[in-house]
Amino acid sequence: MLIYRVSRVLNLAHGELMMLAAYILISLTTLLGSHPVGALAGAVALSLLVGLVLYVVLMRRMTGELVIAAVLVTIALGILLRGVMVLGWTGRTYHPMQQLGWENKAIALGGGMTASTVALATVGMAVLLYCGLFAFFQFTQWGVRMRAVGENPLLASQRGIALHATYALAWALATLTGGLAGILIALDSGLDTTMAVVGLKAFPAALVGGLGSLRGAVVGSMIVAAAEVLAIHYIDPLVSDVVPFVVLIVMLLIRPWGLFGTEEEIERV
Amino acid sequence: MRKMIAGYLIACTTLVPGAAAAADAYVLGLTGDMTGRDSANSGAAADGIRIYFERLNAKGGINGRKVEVLMRDNQSEPSRAATDAQVFVNNDDLQLIISASLSSTYAPTIAEAKRKGVPILFSAGVCPTDVFPPKADPLLFCTSGYAAEKDVEFAVDYMRKMTSGQFKLGLVSMAIPISRGGMEHAAKYSAGKNIQVIGHESAPPPTVNYAPYATKLKDAGADWVLSWAPWVTQVKTFEALRQQGWSGRFISYGHNVAEEELKRIKDPGFLVFTTNAMFSDNQPIHGEIQAAAAGKTKYPYTYLNEGWIAATVIEAALKKVAWPPSRAKVAEAMNALTVDLSGLRGGAIVWSGQNHYRQDLYYRVYGWDGATNRVKTVADWVNKPVN
Repeated sequence: MLIYRVSRVLNLAHGELMMLAAYILISLTTLLGSHPVGALAGAVALSLLVGLVLYVVLMRRMTGELVIAAVLVTIALGILLRGVMVLGWTGRTYHPMQQLGWENKAIALGGGMTASTVALATVGMAVLLYCGLFAFFQFTQWGVRMRAVGENPLLASQRGIALHATYALAWALATLTGGLAGILIALDSGLDTTMAVVGLKAFPAALVGGLGSLRGAVVGSMIVAAAEVLAIHYIDPLVSDVVPFVVLIVMLLIRPWGLFGTEEEIERV
Repeated sequence: MRKMIAGYLIACTTLVPGAAAAADAYVLGLTGDMTGRDSANSGAAADGIRIYFERLNAKGGINGRKVEVLMRDNQSEPSRAATDAQVFVNNDDLQLIISASLSSTYAPTIAEAKRKGVPILFSAGVCPTDVFPPKADPLLFCTSGYAAEKDVEFAVDYMRKMTSGQFKLGLVSMAIPISRGGMEHAAKYSAGKNIQVIGHESAPPPTVNYAPYATKLKDAGADWVLSWAPWVTQVKTFEALRQQGWSGRFISYGHNVAEEELKRIKDPGFLVFTTNAMFSDNQPIHGEIQAAAAGKTKYPYTYLNEGWIAATVIEAALKKVAWPPSRAKVAEAMNALTVDLSGLRGGAIVWSGQNHYRQDLYYRVYGWDGATNRVKTVADWVNKPVN
C-alpha cells in the first residue's frame, strides 16, 4: 500500500518479501544464536536494506515506464525470490521462535478466549506501526514529500522533491513493514514457502479498504479476516480461501474505489 | 547460502540426464520434488537415495559396477514429471525410474514409463493403487510408508485400546482427496467401536491460521484428535489446539520430519504413528545413515530414512540382475524380492508378482518422554497384513 500510495505501482512480490525477511531471521538466528534480540533487529534492518537495494537495482529502471510494466516486474521479482529462497533454505518448515530460545505461551484473555504471546505482540505491533505511519505521513517532512509525490510526481519534482529518494524510501518502508509481518507470522506459526499466500490475501484487504488509505487498510483487513473466519465456522472451511476475493468482488461491484479510497485513485488503477 | 547454490549448480551440470551414462554402470533416473512444495519430504528422500549410492559406489558398487543416478527436479508439477519421464525412457542405458514427488506427478510418469517398459519405484509419496494386491502392475513398485486407510485403521484401533469407555474423536485432514478420504474412512471405521466422531475439519492447502479449526474441535469437546495429512496441517492444528488450552491427546501420521518435531514440541500428548523406526532407537543402521549424511545434505539426517529404504531395495534388486542389465531384467528381479531393512522398519519388504507394496505393514507409536527428555517408543511394532 505504501508503494502504491507513492508510485501507483502494485507490488505483487509483497508476500515473497515478507517471507524473505523471515528467512533472513532464520539465518541470523543460526549465526547469532546467543543474541536473539540482535538476530531480530538484524533481520528487520536487513529487510529495510532489501527494499532500498531492490529500488536502486531494479525498480528505479522502471521510472517513466508504464505502471503495468513495473507491476509485471514485481511479479517476476516474486518468482525469482521464491526460487532463491527454496534453493537457499529448502522447502522445510522452520520454527524461529524455538531457534531463538523463546516460548510462545498462550495467554488467557477472559471469557474463554486465549491468544498466543506472539499473536498479541502482532496486534500491538500493528497498532504501533499504524500510529507511526500516520504520524510519519502527517507530521514529518519526508512523509509530506511522499504524499506530494503520490499526488503529482511532476509537480513535486518541479518543487525540488527528489523523486528517486522518495520512491526508494517507500520501498524501504514497505519491505520493512512487510518484513516485520513476515517475521511475526513465522514466530507465531513457523515458516515455510506457503507464507507468500498471506501476502496475496493482503490485496483484497487493501482494495476493500481503499488503495492508498491507511484507515482503509485497517478496516479492510478486519472485514476480510472476519469473513474468512465466519466462513470456516458457518459455511465450509473449503470456501475460506476464496472468501477474501468474494468480498473483494462484491466491493468492486458496489464501490470500486473501496471504503476509504477515492474515485480518482481507482481510475488510475 | 552461496555454498548451497553452488552445490545445486554443480548438481545440475553433473547429474543432468543429457550427460552420457557410463556403459559399465547401472543407470537410474530419479524424478523428484527437490525445490517444490513437497521438497522437505521428497527432496530429503531423493537426498537419501543419492547419498546411499554415493556411499555404495565408493565401496565398489553392485557386482563390481557403479550405480549412476540421474536426478531431475519436477517440483511436484505433472508437466515437469512428464518431461523427466520422457527424457529417462528415451535414454536406452537407463533401467529404472525412481519417483520422489507428490502423487499428482504419477499419471504422466507412469504413462511414459509404460510406453517403453521401464519399471518405476515410488519412494516418497503415497503409493499408487496399482502396486497393491491382488493385481499389482508388473512395472510399478512402492517402498514409501503411506497407506491412508490402513494407517487410520491402526490409529483408531490404538486410540480404542488406550481409552476406556466412550470417547469423542475429532478428525483433521488437508483438503486434498487422499487426506480427506483417509479421514472419511477413519469416521466409518470408528463406527460401532464406542467412539463418537464429533467433527472432521478439512483445511485447504495454503491455510496459515489453524485457530478456527482448533476452536471447532475444542468446542465440540474432542478427547482425541486424529490427523492423516501433510505434516503442516497435523502439527499446526495441534499447536493451535494447545494454544487454546485443549488438554486432549493428538495422534498423527509420522512423516520424515516427525522425529525432529517431537523434539521441538516436547508434548507427551502429541503422538505419531509411523512405519519407519526413528533414530531415537539408535540402531546400527541409524548410525550408518547419520555418518553417511554428514555434510552431504541440507536436511537433518533423520529425514533420510524413506530414501535409504528405497535405495536398499533397489540395491537388492540390482544384485539379482545379471550383467548387462535391462529394464525387463530389473522388473523381473523386483517382481520377486525380499529385502531385510536392518531395523529401519518393523519387518522386511516382500514383493511378489501380485503384491508390489509389501506383505506386512508394521506400525509403531512414538511420543515425547518428559522424564527422560527424549523421543520414546510409546507402542511397539504392530503387524497389519496387506491382503
